[in-house]
Order: sequence, then structure tokens, then C-alpha cells
Amino acid sequence: MDVLDQLGSMREGKMSRRAFTKSLLAAGVAVTAVPMGGRKAMAAAEDQATYFTWGGYDIPELFGEYQEKHGELPNFSVFGSSEEALTKMRGGFVVDVSHPCNQALPRWKASELFQPVDPTRLSHWGDVMPELVSLEGNDAGDGKLWMVPFDWGQTSITYRTDLIDVEEESWDMLWNEEYKGKLGSLAAGADAWWIGAIKAGVSFEEIDTPEAFEKIAAVMREQRPLIRTYTDDTTTLEQALASGELVAAMTWNSSAALLKAEGVEVKFADPKEGALTWVCGVMIHKDASKVDRAYDVIDSLLSVETGKFMIGDYGYGHSNAKSFDEFTAEELAELGLSKTPADILQAGHFQTPQTQEWETKMSSMFEEIKAGF
Amino acid sequence: MSDQSLSASTSDPDSPARRAGWFERLIYRSEAARGFSLLAPTLIFLLTVILVPFAILIIMSLWTAVGFDFDTTPTIKNYQQVFERPIYLALLGRSIYISAIATVATVVLCYPMAYYVAFHVHRNKMMWIVLMTLPFWTSYLLRVFAWKVVLGYEGVINSALINVGLIDEPLGFLLYSQEAVIITLAHAWAAFAILPIYVSLEKIDRSLLEAATDLGDGPAMRFIRITLPLSLPGVIAASLLIFIPTTGDYITPALLGGPDGAMIGNLIQKMFGPINNWPMGATLSIVLMIIIALICLVYVFIMLLVRRKIS
Repeated sequence: MDVLDQLGSMREGKMSRRAFTKSLLAAGVAVTAVPMGGRKAMAAAEDQATYFTWGGYDIPELFGEYQEKHGELPNFSVFGSSEEALTKMRGGFVVDVSHPCNQALPRWKASELFQPVDPTRLSHWGDVMPELVSLEGNDAGDGKLWMVPFDWGQTSITYRTDLIDVEEESWDMLWNEEYKGKLGSLAAGADAWWIGAIKAGVSFEEIDTPEAFEKIAAVMREQRPLIRTYTDDTTTLEQALASGELVAAMTWNSSAALLKAEGVEVKFADPKEGALTWVCGVMIHKDASKVDRAYDVIDSLLSVETGKFMIGDYGYGHSNAKSFDEFTAEELAELGLSKTPADILQAGHFQTPQTQEWETKMSSMFEEIKAGF
Repeated sequence: MSDQSLSASTSDPDSPARRAGWFERLIYRSEAARGFSLLAPTLIFLLTVILVPFAILIIMSLWTAVGFDFDTTPTIKNYQQVFERPIYLALLGRSIYISAIATVATVVLCYPMAYYVAFHVHRNKMMWIVLMTLPFWTSYLLRVFAWKVVLGYEGVINSALINVGLIDEPLGFLLYSQEAVIITLAHAWAAFAILPIYVSLEKIDRSLLEAATDLGDGPAMRFIRITLPLSLPGVIAASLLIFIPTTGDYITPALLGGPDGAMIGNLIQKMFGPINNWPMGATLSIVLMIIIALICLVYVFIMLLVRRKIS
């Protein structure tokens, strides 16, 4: 039965239900089969390393060097929180390179899912800032390390300068009753809970005590009715800030930088209590099937070209000292960055690693608070 | 699959004396064995993809999470916690509430549509049905996102109302609320209601309706005494088809629910993800399953009683 025949019979109302179902089936089979045929032609993607990273890092701008060398981008898989990523990998998801932060580093290492990185295999290693390498638990012996630092930055408040009156930048902005229902927050406890600690005045050395839990839980409960949405998806927060649905939200550097580039009147606050600061990097999975390409992924991330994009377009710090030479001191100050990471990292509250028990307890408590308890 | 059914059909019952292997003799002699071998592919499938994972879930729910690892000594601590900590029962209650409202809304909205096609459309019925299920041709995620666009702060409804001049500022409650979840669920699952209801309405013997008219029933009485009871199987099927999956729905509340619209599915996902407490996640899944089963049993029972009463 050809297509014209079918159309004709449909027009005349002669087509039986069975015939119609048959053609639907045929169409379905055809549609399913199409991608299978095309697959073989573009087999190259399967030869590339898989990079498991935060949403927003899966863009070609960060892989210029890699693309030049291999002609293709790495394969990407994206997560919204590093706990989610670790759980997925513990469940058997094998990738080549992944992207945790210093606070999660010892726990990622303890999962025994990663192999030490040999920095001598990285061509940009000489330019990497040493103070970013010497993180707690990063030494793997033999001159090797677990996590190669890549980006660093802050968790702070992005706010609409035209929609909110700010006398003094402070975390109180996210606890302001006046803007009830117009405030947003990151959903992962890995950011929000620590902000709660800063707001409650709990020092990070004492964050693992019952009193700290109580104090932080109290401020988070206070904040909860004011929050319109908790999300791990930074795009959701950015769109809401752009439309005015939110007037202030807890975000990372990139949200503010991207919104500014779009011409939205926003500012990335420098709260008087101090922002939350962190260093993130890349680790290689122990079962990585393409170790050489994994090193190429890391090299590409460390390149000056990538650093320029990270600093200029995303507003993050980069681990390659040379990347900063592309910017003047004023430009960096404007972005809230500095050539000496310590200036920024120590000015804020630098995240410290915690035990897995702490993480589980914190996450379940924070989930309860978000659900209204 | 074809192996099994072939061997079952090639043993010719007319020539039993034929030399045959033990399997064929068994197949020939026992009707039950024939039946089971025909069912074998289905049974194996059921066993591996439903029963085994379910058993794993039950076993895991008796463990406890310790850091990255599990303490495998069996304990019912997790089940006790479900009833002790308020969050679990509250989220379960909220999920059932949201999904019950969504189910009722869907069935009530879809019944007239199915009724119209069954009784008042005489040509191209199939086209009508296809058109009604058109939203189902896109992915579930896409439908949820479409509602995000419709209900959003700068979405279709808000901008329309502002342009007409009814409101000055966008309505905030449209998105990130329980209402948003209910609206989306009711739309996204509509086809699951239309199809079973349509089938049961279509099957009704038209002469019964004529008989009712002859015996003096008006349109309303005729509907209540003939059409409704006879279409109840479809209504029951539709309700169950919608209620069961929506109670554990995860993606709609995650995208549209906001802090107040979170459902039990979201918590289960988090147990297996960031909270990293798989045993508790398994426990919640099982408790959810049991509660849904109980509700469905009660519902079917009540509907059967109602049907007996009105017919």
C-alpha cells in the first residue's frame, strides 16, 4: 500500500481502523530505525573521552585545544550537584574525567573510584597556581595528585540593582521579608547549608557539631517561606532573575556574569559577612577507558584560551596563572577577581571537607526543611 | 521467544508414537506444560524485570546506610522512621491529595469528550481519537515544559491578563505551586482517560438506550441509569491508570512544584541521589506501593458497590 493510496482512502473516509494502525506502526518503525542507520557514519564521538561535569561546562569554548587535536568535542554528561554525580558513579556509571570541588575531594577519593593524576603529563602544568594544588587531601604521593584544580570562585547573591534597594550588601538580602516569594536559592546543601552557616555565624571549624546543626537549621527554616524556588539548575535562576520573577538569588559567579552580558541590571554581591568560596578541579576515573584523552581534556581545560573564557565570560577564577595576564587589574576588579586567588578565597569563607555522615545528615535535614519541616 | 512457541506447535498431536525428545513428550502429554512453555517468554521477562528488582528493593529496605556503605543486618528501623518522622507521611499525604485531584479533574474533563466521540461522531471516529490524543505525540517532559511556559511569570496566561488589563503584576501562584502540578498532571495524562472511557462507551448496546426511552426515561435518567453504570469499567480503568503513576510522579513537581509542591517521588529520588540513603529510598518506594495498592482496592470495591446500587 503506497502513501498516495492511503491519503486517498483517508480523504474518502474508506480507511479502516486496522489499515490506519498498520500505517502508524510502519511509521513508528521507520522513525525508530532512522537514527540506527545514521549511527555508523559518525562513529567518531565514541572515540572521545567522556567528561562528567556541572551544567554549563559542557560547551565548546572550554575545549578549543582538545577539538584542535582530535577534531571533535569530548562526550558530555551533566550533573546538578556533586553528590548526585558521586552517587551516579558509585552506581556504576564510568566516565573518564569528572569535576568535583575541594569540599567533596576527600570523600570522592575515599570512594576509590579515581586514579591519581600524573601532572607531568600535562603541558600546562607549569602555569598552574601552586596554592590551588595544595588542597586538603589532594596529595597522592610520588608527586601525583588526585584533583587537578581548574576553576575557583564564590557562592554569593546575584541581585537586580533596579528592583531591590540595597544599603549594604549582606546575606540578610536573602532573608528579607519584604521580598518574600521573590528570592531564589540553589537547592544543593553543598552551597545553601554553608551559606546558612555564614548567616548563622557558625564558623566552618564547628560546622560538624549538634549546636551548629540546630543553629543552621533554624536560619534555613526562617528563610524557607521566603524562597520561590530551590533549584540546582542555574539557568532557571538566571531566567527568573532576568524576568524580574526573582529579585535576588544565591548563585555562582557565572550567573551574574552571563546576565550582565545580556544587559540585565544585576550585581554579584560581596556580602559583608563574606561569600562562600571554593576551588573545583578534575579527577580521572579509575576505570577510564581513554586515559590519554582524559589528560587531553584536562590540558584543554587548563589552557589560557579556556581560562580567558572562564574569567571573561563566566566570571570564575582559573587555575592557570597566565590566563590572568589577558586581563587588566581593573577588569579583574570589576569581575570581583584577583591574580592572587588567596585574596578572594581567604576574604570569604573557604569550604572545608566534611565526613560522609555529616553530608548525609545535612542533606536529609535540608530536604526536610525545604519540604517545610 | 520463537524457539519456544515453535517447539510447542511442531509436536503434532495426531502422531504421538513419533520418536521424540523428553521435552516434546512432556509438551504433548501435559496441557499445563504447553501453556507454560507458551507463557515462558512473558514469565521470564516478568521475573527478571519486575520480581527480581522488587525483591532487591525489599531486601534493601531492611538495611541501613552507613556513610558510603550499607549495614546489612536486617532491621525494620526504616519502616518505623516512616511513621515517626513527620516529613514522610506528610509528603505521602500530599502526593495522594495532588494525584487524587488530578485524577478526578482528568476523568471529569475527559468523560464528555469520550462521550461525544462515542455517541455523536459517526464518521472518521479514529481521526477524532487520534486528534484527542495528539498531545501524547510529544514527550512527557516537553508537555511539562510547555506548561511551564504557559503558567510562567512572563508566560502566556500572565501576559494575556496583563495586556487585557485585568492585573498589573504577574500572578505568582500560577507557577511553583501545587495548583501548577495538578493542572499539568490533568493535561498530561488526558489520553489515558479518554481511551478507556471511549472504549467502554462505544461498547454500550444502543438498543438499551432506546428501551429506556420507550419506558419513559428522559435523557438525564437514561444517562444515570444506563450509560453511566455501563461505562463505569472505563471510568475505573481510567482513574487507576492515572492515579497510580501520578502519585509517584517526579518530573512535574520537580519542575513546577516549587517548595510547596514537592511530592514523595522527589524525596525518593533524593534518597537515591544527594541524600545517599538508598535503604530509606527503597522503604519509601515500598510504602508508597502498598498505600497505592490499598487505595486502589478500596476504590474498586466502592465502585463495584456503586455500580450494583445504581443498575
